[in-house]
Amino acid sequence: MSQIETFYDVMRRQGITRRSFMKYCSLTAAALGLSPSFVPKIAHAMETKPRTPVIWVHGLECTCCSESFIRAAHPLAKDVVLSMISLDYDDTLMAAAGHAAEAALEETIQKYKGNYILAVEGNPPLNEDGMFCITGGKPFVEKLRHAAKDAKAIISWGACASYGCVQAAKPNPTQATPVHKVITDKPIIKVPGCPPIAEVMTGVITYMLTFDRLPELDRQGRPAMFYSQRIHDKCYRRPHFDAGQFVEAWDDEHARKGYCLYKMGCKGPTTYNACSTIRWNEGVSFPIQSGHGCIGCSEDGFWDQGSFYDRVTDLTQFGVEANADKIGLTAAGVVGAGVAAHAAVSALKAAQRKTQDKKEEA
Amino acid sequence: MTTLLVGPFNRVEGDLEIRLEVQDGAVSAAYTNSPLFRGFERMMLGKGPLDALTITPRICGICSISQSAAAALALADLAGVQPAPEGAKVAALLHMIENVSDHMAHFNLFFMPDYARAAYAGADWHQTVLERFTAGQGSALRRAIEARADLLHVVGMLGGKWPHTLAIQPGGVTRTPTARDLIRIGASLQAFRRYLEAQTFGGKLEDFIALGTVQQLEAWTTGDAGLFLRVAEATGTGAMGRGTGRYLSFGAYPLPEGRVFKGGTWDNGAEAPVDFAAIREDISHAWMLGEAAHPSAGATVPDEMMREGAYSWCKAPRLQGRTFETGALARQIVVGHPLARALAAEGGVRARVAGRLLELALTQIEMERLLRDIRPEARFMDQVILPKDGAGVGVVEAARGALGHWITVKDGAISGYQIIAPTTWNFSPRDAGGTAGPVEAALVGAPVAEGEDTPLSVQHIVRSFDPCMVCTVH
Repeated sequence: MSQIETFYDVMRRQGITRRSFMKYCSLTAAALGLSPSFVPKIAHAMETKPRTPVIWVHGLECTCCSESFIRAAHPLAKDVVLSMISLDYDDTLMAAAGHAAEAALEETIQKYKGNYILAVEGNPPLNEDGMFCITGGKPFVEKLRHAAKDAKAIISWGACASYGCVQAAKPNPTQATPVHKVITDKPIIKVPGCPPIAEVMTGVITYMLTFDRLPELDRQGRPAMFYSQRIHDKCYRRPHFDAGQFVEAWDDEHARKGYCLYKMGCKGPTTYNACSTIRWNEGVSFPIQSGHGCIGCSEDGFWDQGSFYDRVTDLTQFGVEANADKIGLTAAGVVGAGVAAHAAVSALKAAQRKTQDKKEEA
Repeated sequence: MTTLLVGPFNRVEGDLEIRLEVQDGAVSAAYTNSPLFRGFERMMLGKGPLDALTITPRICGICSISQSAAAALALADLAGVQPAPEGAKVAALLHMIENVSDHMAHFNLFFMPDYARAAYAGADWHQTVLERFTAGQGSALRRAIEARADLLHVVGMLGGKWPHTLAIQPGGVTRTPTARDLIRIGASLQAFRRYLEAQTFGGKLEDFIALGTVQQLEAWTTGDAGLFLRVAEATGTGAMGRGTGRYLSFGAYPLPEGRVFKGGTWDNGAEAPVDFAAIREDISHAWMLGEAAHPSAGATVPDEMMREGAYSWCKAPRLQGRTFETGALARQIVVGHPLARALAAEGGVRARVAGRLLELALTQIEMERLLRDIRPEARFMDQVILPKDGAGVGVVEAARGALGHWITVKDGAISGYQIIAPTTWNFSPRDAGGTAGPVEAALVGAPVAEGEDTPLSVQHIVRSFDPCMVCTVH
């Protein structure tokens, strides 16, 4: 095929109206934090750019990322993105099966050599020469290397592809290994979370398709637009944390009042993700809103940090605002002293972060 | 005799490979291989028991609430407590929503698209199926994805997020719904009923669940259900893939007054309660080391040599030494619904898919009833103190059938954790006696046309079981 269709062509073919298309462009601009002046630019790009092909492969995983993706926020966004990338190859959703499917993968690789985005859900287990995950008669790690060779860029969907996730939990029976440790010569965008938020997934992919470049990444390789703030920073229960009001036991009076879940093991203070702003299942809620602490599923190693219900105390590497007990006590006592303590703690935190940043850069 | 290696299968959850022996244009033997092993049971060892609530749901992104509910029940059993009654109701509602979502996703996204294949071009129904069910494009698929996302708002609201919801705990649930939440949930359920009645059934749910015989079912012509029945009849696929007539259900949705769908076994007409002590996981044909064991005493030690003679990572669970089929059809046969009982003898592709549709309608009605019953002012979670040593069992019904978690705790850490998932039952390999697993047995006799390398009949049969391969081995 010499002439690749544009995104807009594809959408029209899928029966998406012009009005819906424009609405989608504004939604995308909003989701990406761009000003309304970007809407025509996005629209123009989609009308003129050839569609970027996407190959979506699954390794050791649970398909939760796909599940999240097909439930993306705005039904329109999901519709558009699904049709736009049209998943030239996706083991879970595609029509073909068996050898025909393997042939389709090969054809897509050849047809779009050097030009496609490889989206990886799950990760390769390296133990026993990769025998714990076999697709099409070959270890998944071979399929991954093969598909990665001619990819323009790679998206690591979810905690599995980004960090290993629970299947890499001690003793990591299969030696499940994140993608960036296997593929080292391609740009990799990590979109962690278990699963990542649907809007984050569509946002990342739309950004890459529209602007034809990688989004700005943080030091860990995560798109900064979604992973630059902690859950805690934008948590609606934050005022209760600051006021020293905590849930002490499940379904106690404080739980019903929606107090802070820090003492119930919430990992919000150390977790970088967009759950508290974008929320889940089309923006209706997120774990903290359901009365359960954050487990930090978008952070590396979240599965092996001790109990999910242990309080995050004395964490040195990120500098939590302080020990919640302390803040609670001071707030209950002299208010002025409480504020002073909090200010001091914040200064300490800033200092800690600086040291931390230096360490990471070194 | 020729041998065919079929796989990878798409439109199933996870990876699956099946070796077929074909003779005289039909399958004479089948061997199912689950080629994906992650070792969840091994990584549970030494961890705190509460970690099960976070780790085991991540076995599967499709039925994570089922895993979460089983883990919570196993921990409650370990502590010797019952969850707070209102908490049990919310947990049941969450679980019903996931199961219903799975059923409708299976029908629309995984099963029906097979009839849109070019091999069926020219049939008088093909154009309709193409329009409704072409993979990735059909109008029914789009509507289904939308309706499902809307329904899962309820899980979002009660559970914070889906997949991998954290709200279900041994003592109940973390979320206390307010009266306002209940009204919003009611609206979501109403919208879902409208979707089911307009698209899936083309008629009232109450009329569909009132069907009592196969003849009455065949007379149902409306909606996608009607389309399926017509196509199954026209292609002869409905009668394919007959099971052994043995069905198992652990019982679904525990409430203080009992399970909404009661558990039990059905062996070609004979009903019995499940004898949990008589479950064994056979590993004679699995790449596992050790001996056949009850899950409370079992271990998961992968055979890294992948020895000859074995052919799957999946263990072979047996009840009283026999294979059992599990799933929506099995559940409704055990409950005793007249239509399900009428389909029990038929036991093939049509029976399984119709069983799922029947349960879709039944569960919607149960969800509406349950919601009316939830009292926002009551306690939703009790404090649970786990003993340092002990054992517990949690059994539930996932969309795909019977799911059990068996936990043993020593000095406050997990010393044993075994899981038997529904697809472990259905897609099990042979046992020491050489008896084939339910799917392996159901595939025998499936027609294979000249030159077919991935026989259509095999795909219809395999997908009629709604396999979830990531759960199978875990």
